[in-house]
Amino acid sequence: MSVRDFLLTREGLHSWLSRLARDYPLIAPVEEEKGVITFKQVGGPQEIVFDCAPSTLPPKEWFLPSTEELFAFSTAGGGITLQEPPGPKERVLFGLHPCDVRALLALDPVFGGTYPDPYYLGRRKATIIVALSCTKPGPYCFCPAVGGDPVVAAGADLLLTESGSSFAVKAMTSRGEEIIQRYPGHFAPDEEGRGERARQELAGQLAGMFAFLPDLRGVKEFLDGHFELPYWEEVASRCLGCGICTYTCPTCHCFDIFDQSWDGARGLRARCWDSCMFSQFTRMAGGHNPRPTQKERVRNRFLHKLKYHQDRYGLGGCVGCGRCVAKCPVNIDIRRIIGDLKELASHG
Amino acid sequence: MDNPLKPYPATIVKITDETPDVKTFQIVFDDPGVWDHFRHKPGQVAQISVFGVGEATISITSSPTRKGLLEFSVKRVGLLTGALHQLEAGSKVGIRGPLGNHFPYEEMKGSDLLFIGGGIGLAPLRALIDFVLDGENRSHYGQVEIIYGARSAADLCFKDDLFNRWPHMPGTKVYLTIDRPEEGWNGHVGFVPSYLEEISPSPRNRFAITCGPPVMIKFVLSALQKLGFPDERIITTLEMKMKCGVGKCGRCNIGSKFVCVDGPVFYLSQLKELPPEF
Repeated sequence: MSVRDFLLTREGLHSWLSRLARDYPLIAPVEEEKGVITFKQVGGPQEIVFDCAPSTLPPKEWFLPSTEELFAFSTAGGGITLQEPPGPKERVLFGLHPCDVRALLALDPVFGGTYPDPYYLGRRKATIIVALSCTKPGPYCFCPAVGGDPVVAAGADLLLTESGSSFAVKAMTSRGEEIIQRYPGHFAPDEEGRGERARQELAGQLAGMFAFLPDLRGVKEFLDGHFELPYWEEVASRCLGCGICTYTCPTCHCFDIFDQSWDGARGLRARCWDSCMFSQFTRMAGGHNPRPTQKERVRNRFLHKLKYHQDRYGLGGCVGCGRCVAKCPVNIDIRRIIGDLKELASHG
Repeated sequence: MDNPLKPYPATIVKITDETPDVKTFQIVFDDPGVWDHFRHKPGQVAQISVFGVGEATISITSSPTRKGLLEFSVKRVGLLTGALHQLEAGSKVGIRGPLGNHFPYEEMKGSDLLFIGGGIGLAPLRALIDFVLDGENRSHYGQVEIIYGARSAADLCFKDDLFNRWPHMPGTKVYLTIDRPEEGWNGHVGFVPSYLEEISPSPRNRFAITCGPPVMIKFVLSALQKLGFPDERIITTLEMKMKCGVGKCGRCNIGSKFVCVDGPVFYLSQLKELPPEF
């Protein structure tokens, strides 16, 4: 058996998390108020929600904060000085579900590439990711339909899977192995392959628990050849343009950049989340807008998720977390949209 | 660029009034060492910062053959360009770039070049015009023809180049037009696309490069096709709203292409592969 598999008792997990919270900023899902689960820095395991469906907001804000300073500027003394904020300290992000780990892998090439973004990449580098297999898909979850797996978390450093009274721990990276070695006495080697069996067993249980799994086959190929579809007007006629889908989406990364200055001589340049659902998003100073109505904006969002991200980075743009479905005030449901497109494709 | 979102501090050294609402800003970096990193090619753009107001994407209108300075011609249309127009020589700004792709000047070697511009759309073309006309580069290119129009004579940008410089360069012709007749104007009157059809340049061994208002570009592209220019020899440069300029902020996409990194320069053959969303 691989030495990368370990077992951790429930008491062991709590003791380990207490130690982690002392040694690192420990970020984990907490119930901020009833039914609202977000990732926050915690003082210990007692604050953590271990068995939630997808959190209300994804953990992306720990990599791409909703608002963040890019640099401070000062024009005092005739010149210009620009001062970037200090980089992040090493920290542990605990309790990501496999869909949210996949979402980070989808964001990585956006912020990497030819022009590496030091803010996002700095946080990625500083973060040890401890993923947690899903035990409870939400009513809107559909990760298996988009190639996800609720018990597989490639991209995490460690994957924990609940199994009876203990947790199976799989070290997926050398960093994951290091953090296990740093806390001796907590982890017992899994020499009998219990972890692998536990993950398979859980996968079997979860398989029947997804309410609706759309069939994605052929949908991208259809979209490759059909940009203009009256169908988008139908979807747009219901869309309020509120942007909640982009706000809760773990792979949406659009941002605005703005300056804030109090006296003209000193100030900040910052970026904040923005949304392709908003009319101002693409409106140019002269008034021309390449996506002038909600039809073009809705189409852009769904094409981004189902086609553009794939075209550009070779990775799916939707991880099937269902957050946009859960929060849309007019029930625009990407699962239904995939189904409708499939239907349109079959009618040629 | 260790941080692609952090501008280089720079100073405006000269401001030229081109038209009632266009000014050309000559800018130099405060740290001369920046020139080692900032090596632009004709057609590329940069982000200009007015600290406290923000940034805008502006094409670099000076040719890289003019070393030691950058020129940006800016029409006053919005918040940032309005703030820029308020500045005076000596003002501090920030520059990020060079960003985007560039005109295929290597591929154009040995060919005649036809430039078709409208209004402020001459600004990105000017970087390539001066590039091919400057020094030794001139010998690599054939005839250079420039068709350029504006709403009125006062709205013609780069009057010094149009009247005093380019027409006197070897193998170079300048055709000017304005939208409506006006007193004191003895030149051509009419829109750029119809003037292009009137002049009717041969597509033989010639690249056409165009930039202007979206509606002008649309009609120029169809006129060029009518004249027999192949899609691979029709080139334009697009403008979209941009924030980051480096393919991350998500707003300048046309389909799965980002204008900021995959453009702004496109062949017509490439544009035809993209959804008509620009």
